[in-house]
Amino acid sequence: MRTLDEQETTVVFEKLYKFVGNNLKNIVENPSHEGPDPNPGRYCFRLQKNRVYYVSESLVKRATNVSREKLVSLGIQVGKFTHHGNFHLTVHALSLLAPNAKHKVWLKPTSEMSFLYGNPVLKAHLGRITEDINSGDGIVVYSMSDVPLGFGIATKSTKDCRKSDPNSMVVIHQADIGEGFMIDDGFVEFGTSVYV
Amino acid sequence: MGKKQKQKEKVILPPELPPEVPEDEVSVSDEDVDFLAENRAYAAFVSRLDTQSIDKQVTRVANAKEDDLEALYERRLRKKALEKDEDKGLEVDRVDALPVKSLDGKLYYRTVPKAEKKPENGHKEGDTEEDEDGNDGNKGIVKLTKAERRAKLKKKRKEEKQQAKEQTETEEEKQDPQAKILAEVKEDLTVEEIAEVKRQKMAELGTALLNDPESNIKSLKELLKFCKDEDKTITQAALLSCLVVFKDIIPGYRIRLPTEKEREMKVSKFVKKMRFFESTLLSSYKAYLQRLLTLQHNSGFHRVVVRCLCTLLDAHPHFNFRENLLPAVVRNLNSSDEVTRLAFSRPENTLAFSQTLCSSLSMAISATNLHFRLQPQISRYESPFLFLLCCEFFFPSSSSVVSALFVAFRLPFGCCSCFFSSSFSCSAMSVGHGGVFGHLSLSLLPPLLSGAWLIANVVKIHECELHPDTIEVFLSLAFDEDLGRSENKDDDNKGKHKKNKKRKNSNEQIQPVISDKKRSKQELVSKTREEVNADYKAASSAQDVVERRRLQSETLSFVFNTYFRVLKHATQLAASRPKQNSTSSGGALGSHPLLSPCLKGVGMFAHLIDLDFMADLMKHLKILASGGSNVGNSGSPLTVSERIECCIVAFKVMRKNLDALNVDLQDFFIQLYNLIIEYRPGRDHGEVLAEALKIILCDDRQHDMQRAAAFIKRLATSSLCFGSAEAMAALVTVKNLLQKNVKCRYMLENDVGGGSLSGSVVKYQPYSSDPHLSGALAAVLWELNLLAKHYHPAISTMASSISKMTATPNQVYLPTISPQQAFKEFALERESFNIKNDTKKLSHKRKRGNSTLAVATKLPLGLDEDGLRKKLADHFTVVRDIVENEKLRRELDLTTMSLQLHEDYKKQRRTGLGMSKQKQRKHS
Repeated sequence: MRTLDEQETTVVFEKLYKFVGNNLKNIVENPSHEGPDPNPGRYCFRLQKNRVYYVSESLVKRATNVSREKLVSLGIQVGKFTHHGNFHLTVHALSLLAPNAKHKVWLKPTSEMSFLYGNPVLKAHLGRITEDINSGDGIVVYSMSDVPLGFGIATKSTKDCRKSDPNSMVVIHQADIGEGFMIDDGFVEFGTSVYV
Repeated sequence: MGKKQKQKEKVILPPELPPEVPEDEVSVSDEDVDFLAENRAYAAFVSRLDTQSIDKQVTRVANAKEDDLEALYERRLRKKALEKDEDKGLEVDRVDALPVKSLDGKLYYRTVPKAEKKPENGHKEGDTEEDEDGNDGNKGIVKLTKAERRAKLKKKRKEEKQQAKEQTETEEEKQDPQAKILAEVKEDLTVEEIAEVKRQKMAELGTALLNDPESNIKSLKELLKFCKDEDKTITQAALLSCLVVFKDIIPGYRIRLPTEKEREMKVSKFVKKMRFFESTLLSSYKAYLQRLLTLQHNSGFHRVVVRCLCTLLDAHPHFNFRENLLPAVVRNLNSSDEVTRLAFSRPENTLAFSQTLCSSLSMAISATNLHFRLQPQISRYESPFLFLLCCEFFFPSSSSVVSALFVAFRLPFGCCSCFFSSSFSCSAMSVGHGGVFGHLSLSLLPPLLSGAWLIANVVKIHECELHPDTIEVFLSLAFDEDLGRSENKDDDNKGKHKKNKKRKNSNEQIQPVISDKKRSKQELVSKTREEVNADYKAASSAQDVVERRRLQSETLSFVFNTYFRVLKHATQLAASRPKQNSTSSGGALGSHPLLSPCLKGVGMFAHLIDLDFMADLMKHLKILASGGSNVGNSGSPLTVSERIECCIVAFKVMRKNLDALNVDLQDFFIQLYNLIIEYRPGRDHGEVLAEALKIILCDDRQHDMQRAAAFIKRLATSSLCFGSAEAMAALVTVKNLLQKNVKCRYMLENDVGGGSLSGSVVKYQPYSSDPHLSGALAAVLWELNLLAKHYHPAISTMASSISKMTATPNQVYLPTISPQQAFKEFALERESFNIKNDTKKLSHKRKRGNSTLAVATKLPLGLDEDGLRKKLADHFTVVRDIVENEKLRRELDLTTMSLQLHEDYKKQRRTGLGMSKQKQRKHS
């Protein structure tokens, strides 16, 4: 377990920024009430075995007791670095992204399953969409009852969405909460094999 | 003959009056009636007999001077004699003088002198001219039935009686004065009588015309003669009666006089009659108009003339000579305005003149309207000029014109542009520059565009510092959305026609054996048909659909151009304002005079905005809604209500444009969330807030749960410090949101934390600027408890009803009123709301020092003055008692003190005495 170096930090933050915009500040400065400490600490990012975790400081202190090889996971996993040095977000980051998301898409109840099977979101699936999305923005996908389902990348701006035909792709699928059932691979591997 | 003699006797008798017998009691035998019916001419004079006036004159004359009496007597005798002569003449002519037989074989009696005499008679007697004329006419044309004749006789008698009475009355007043005065009076009387006669004549002619215009058309000319009368009042009356007649009888088409060729042709009787009618009507109408136009500059007739012109134009805009009418009316706009300008110094006239003004304005409007309908090509260049003309003269009262324009805007589309140009000129001139610019440009562009274009230009020139009315004019525009559709339909039809043609062609190809003659005939037919069609198109009032559509879209583009310019200007200003904060603040209309009408307009025409503009529009609105505070938060120049309006407009635009795609305007939600805190009940407009709540929060079908909860919490909190109206609106919204979002009802439970729903934010953060991060689901709506004790009963019941909602999802609630309605109701009620029941409670709740103040401020609301006075009296008596008490106590203290001192003194003295005594004893 170690802190991220500068390059890694920028990569991670850039990725998160795509999804949460200025709310990234909230993620970084969020006070943590975990642990017995009287003063609320902060959350920080830690790298462990190519995976990036979002951990409260008190937990980090305690996790130093465990050796690097033995430490399987801690805090919330945000994503992982590939062999090429690219950073990928994993489903676990959803709990971090959803409350802070800037761009959202709500799916119609009929098309929820399609998304949860790993398919991209088509225009016909859209129940609602936030205004002011540009192509390439990170988008969090919700069900109509405000349950976050996953996230992806926008292929079209909101403006273009209006004009496009109903079968055109709007959001490329990146991760969704259905992966755990699709890939029956145990907790640790959960969500990883998609990107390897 | 016996009958006649009887009549003669009656005529001669006057000195020894027969006993008065009421008309009804005289029994007339059937024979007599028949006789009379046959020889009506014999009885003609009876109608002119006036037994009563004769009686009165005789009785009255007794008191008068001898000369007068004699003169009168002589005159009457002469009259009688003349009448007798006439009667005799008739008899004599018939019996004695032989009739002359002309070559044609007609018999001529010597009736000529009688005809000549009669008018003289009429004048001398002061008898009614028209009666004679009417009788003559009747003699010639129809024989009256018995009943009719009787009725007529009666009527005449009555009239004559009245006249006689008038005469006697006026004469009686001036019995004593000299004969000269008497003569003068008589002259006056005759003048009056003549006027009366003329008036009656006019009335008769008018009614006759209206009853049967075709047969009585000749009398129109007679009627017109009265228009040239020397008497002013008669002329005016004549003009007005002519107006009424023309208004009624002018046909619904335009009269075309027959050409020479047509005149030569033989026509049926009916057509002849028709032609005669038309030509007479036209000529007299022309004469009438000429008369009107000549009288127009006469100040005495001015208003009448204006009224006539305007009414004519309004009633029959299609009729001949309207091209003469139009400029006249417009000129009158000018002149009447001058009159008004003068009249403003004389307040008693203002109202009347302004009425004329208004009528003429509306006429002009109808005129241009008509122009547009009838001659699109010409009027396109003409009417704006007319309007500019009008507006220049209306300029001093430009605001009233603008308001008039709003009314006038309900007219068809083509017309609107005129009003643009007019309002433009108003605004341009009111600012001082740009007028010339407008004049030049008008001649270059079609009016449809020119108005919008001009306003756009003015706005550009003056950098959006104009009166809001300039832009508000746009609101009255009506764009026809069906234009495109109809065109599409036409296209379809064309396609069908083509298909049909093809089919026909194929048919023809199948049967190619058509003789040359037939073909040429067909060609001829088709050619003429085309010509007719072309003519029809040229003549028909409908403008070309394509052309109209083009103009409309161009106008629209100008309108939006203006709007966007204003928005952009506002955003730029907002961005640059923090730097020059102190210098450019202030101004009577606020820093953005055009912004609010502009926003209104954008909201109204939102459905017409091109999708390509949408992104830009949203961007600007977003900047404006945030108060231009992207640079820095210091001193945002836009007021809270303006910013709320921006949010509303954004939502409106989105709603109207996108039925298919449901777009979530997150940023604007955030803005509204923050604006609710900044809202101050007194300073900002409550209606705007209520509208925002309605449009943004209530109309949306779905909400983020977090967001809804945040809004619920914030609204509940702020309704604690709002006025009753705003609080009601807020509570209605809260209820609405709670009904829609079942999960938000957990906020009603008395349990902090919100459980699993609260998401990442565990604790409610009331000052968070983002509703998503406020963690409102972790909060409890304790405000409702407080609001349930609100002084306003409606709010307290509302709050308690909200707090009774439970989290069970299958509760069904009836739809409630919208926040806007609630606000309106309570804003009205606030003025009349009586809080006398609560004064006690209030004073108990507040501190003692504040309570009197609070009561004093609320006093104008509470009507319980007597009670209050009593209370105040009680209060002050208590205070006075206290003061008195204190005084008394002080006195008491003083006296007790002095007593004590006295006592002390006594003691001292006693002891002193005792000491001295002891000393004395010692000494002794």
